Amino acid sequence: MTTGKILLRRGLIVPPHQPGKGTKKEFHRADVRIADGVIKEISEELAEASDETVIEANDLWITPGLIDIHTHLRDLNQAGKETIESGTRAAAAGGFTTVVSMANTDPPTDTPRIFSIIKDKIEETACIRVLPLAAVTLGLKGEQLTEMAQLAELGAIAFSDDGMPLHNLAVMARGLQFAKLLNKTIISHPEDHALSKKGCMHDSQYATKLGLEGIPSVSESACVAREIEVVRAVGGRLHFAHVSTCEAIQLIKRAKEDGLSVTAEVSPHHITLADEDIRDFDTRFKMNPPLRSKRDQNQLVEALKEGIFDAIATDHAPHTKQEKAQAFASAPFGIIGLETAFSVVYQRLVKEEHLTINELIYLLTSGPASVIGLPDPALVAGSRADIAVIDPKRDWTYQTTKGFSKSSNSPYDGVMLSAKVVATIANGKIVYQDRL
Amino acid sequence: MPSNISNPSQETNRAALLATTRSDGARKFNQRRHLIDTGDLTRDEVSSIMATAETAKHIIARDKSPLNLLNDKVVANVFYENSTRTRSSFTLAAQTLGAQVINLDINTSSVTKGETIFDTASTLIAMGADALIQRHASSGAASQLSNAVPSYVSVVNAGDGWNAHPTQALLDLFTMQEICGNVEGRKLAIIGDVKHSRVARSNIRLLTNLGVDVHVCAPPPLMPEGLSEMGVTTHYELSPALERADFVMALRMQLERQQDGLITSLDDYRKIWRLDHARMKRAKSTVRLFHPGPINRGVELTSELADDPSISAIHLQVTNGIPVRMAVLLLLLNSEDSHR
Repeated sequence: MTTGKILLRRGLIVPPHQPGKGTKKEFHRADVRIADGVIKEISEELAEASDETVIEANDLWITPGLIDIHTHLRDLNQAGKETIESGTRAAAAGGFTTVVSMANTDPPTDTPRIFSIIKDKIEETACIRVLPLAAVTLGLKGEQLTEMAQLAELGAIAFSDDGMPLHNLAVMARGLQFAKLLNKTIISHPEDHALSKKGCMHDSQYATKLGLEGIPSVSESACVAREIEVVRAVGGRLHFAHVSTCEAIQLIKRAKEDGLSVTAEVSPHHITLADEDIRDFDTRFKMNPPLRSKRDQNQLVEALKEGIFDAIATDHAPHTKQEKAQAFASAPFGIIGLETAFSVVYQRLVKEEHLTINELIYLLTSGPASVIGLPDPALVAGSRADIAVIDPKRDWTYQTTKGFSKSSNSPYDGVMLSAKVVATIANGKIVYQDRL
Repeated sequence: MPSNISNPSQETNRAALLATTRSDGARKFNQRRHLIDTGDLTRDEVSSIMATAETAKHIIARDKSPLNLLNDKVVANVFYENSTRTRSSFTLAAQTLGAQVINLDINTSSVTKGETIFDTASTLIAMGADALIQRHASSGAASQLSNAVPSYVSVVNAGDGWNAHPTQALLDLFTMQEICGNVEGRKLAIIGDVKHSRVARSNIRLLTNLGVDVHVCAPPPLMPEGLSEMGVTTHYELSPALERADFVMALRMQLERQQDGLITSLDDYRKIWRLDHARMKRAKSTVRLFHPGPINRGVELTSELADDPSISAIHLQVTNGIPVRMAVLLLLLNSEDSHR
């Protein structure tokens, strides 16, 4: 890890553009000087100082460090799956300089005491910024609210019971009221468990063919619909995690048109894979929400183009080999995604010409920042030196065996991807560097 | 007639059975090594299984003594779910071919201590098992096992979750062919809990490939999504499903479905879907009734119907299970002209 002063030379700076506004592709070539954790200067040409580490970024893209608002870093009693140390190294390799870590840890992040333990671990072992969430309810049980005021004061960036939906709408309403008072977002995992039952993939002809129990789309959309009505009634900011269905998109679109503080994210896998890709009971394709139909997949991309989504988020969910080696129905939900996220969405959205690179970068930086109330991570002098350097021409094959995550549950293992993060600078330090 | 190695009729029987293993379809099936499901079996593979089974049936009808064809083979029954007929049927089939049979009693084995299907299989393979006949509650368990075993071991799926039960479908086809010759163009109506049925899925995959007009009738919550994509016609009402059917297959309706709220009650189910003599009149006069067993008398079908030998083919199905499983085991394990 290199510290101190860095000069990024001759890179192409990619400013984020919000999708759906019809903006054109935009780059400008510049040198970037970094010291003391901040961007000191950005100018067309900067002279190299003797004590600087120089990164020749000729024709490489320079973007604000990516932000993932949906990461499961595990650690504590699940350190076999991932630790804050390994998870943030994986994030750095994917160009992320900030991750929001989920509260469904073991034990859950639901008390000031556990929150403080996690904060200390982050302080000691994270190589990038980790902003931990706190749970909305004790034990993620959906019954009693956590001590949200104290948790917010300790640094909880937002609140979520992710992994578990808040079935009791009265609890959701009170949670939103307190979160609003504290100026925080609640992140919802929209799912109706009674409709999902023991389902393990999208309810479709493909589930029928494999003899697997399905999770119907209405399990997500019905939950989105009723939670939107709670926001309409009590206010507050509600963010929908990992939206996967056409029906939910329409509900969120309307809620936004109605002026409600509702935001939404989509995952890289839901826009690149579908139920029909599940072959031979491969549990690397099992996650929740499940891979939906091809039609849903295409509608998610359309919604990204329209600007209905605020962010792309990984839902990085590590599980051990042994856990994933179980039968499809019994294996845990989730895949890892930090190291592949950028390349996967670049290929699907930019190469296939659905979005400009500027729009894609927005969905991985400014968009997610706004969801959780972070300042806009623009690359300007004086701002925090969180930067990703990307080689748009670099084709590469992802191999979990060479990755940084402790887990290998990825459907992209062995898949050829295009464009690669080649360096990541977090808080002014080089935290990841590939051959340039 | 006493049975021994020099029994001349046994020699003839062995030769007759071995002769059926030399067709192109038989060789193709042998190279497959595993029987996981029926969907990707080619017509000539299916024909070869039927031909071997037919020969086997003739032989065992006269003489049930062991045939010394798989004397050097060990077949392991690994049943993680309860089974009476399938397991006994496989055991008899393997023993009649001369193989040694290990029956793993799951309740007393280390599986209850959390051993995985792969560990259990490795242990049995270390004991010399050449074939693993596995039944498991999880869809995909047979496929996952077949991807994990060494190349000299065969996996036969004896049922995996809701996914597949290939030997049941093959014995159903064998029975249908025995009744009507060619099944192409015949109408089969499958009635009941299709959603949870591996028998229905394996039959649909096998029989639609052979040109059978498959109809399915189920209560709406028990009708799986997208079934029409598998080439079947779906009905919620019984009458159109039964209309002019050549074969009707009733599936077991479990009390559990009522407890899960998937049907309003067993009495309501009886009212709408139970098969009886009056309802069967919609089908062809020559209609034959199938059921994979075990039957719930009075729920999915009346006792009178189940016991009416002019309609019910249920006993014939059970009888035919043995020659069909003999055919599957012989064709998969016989190494006469394979390199194993």
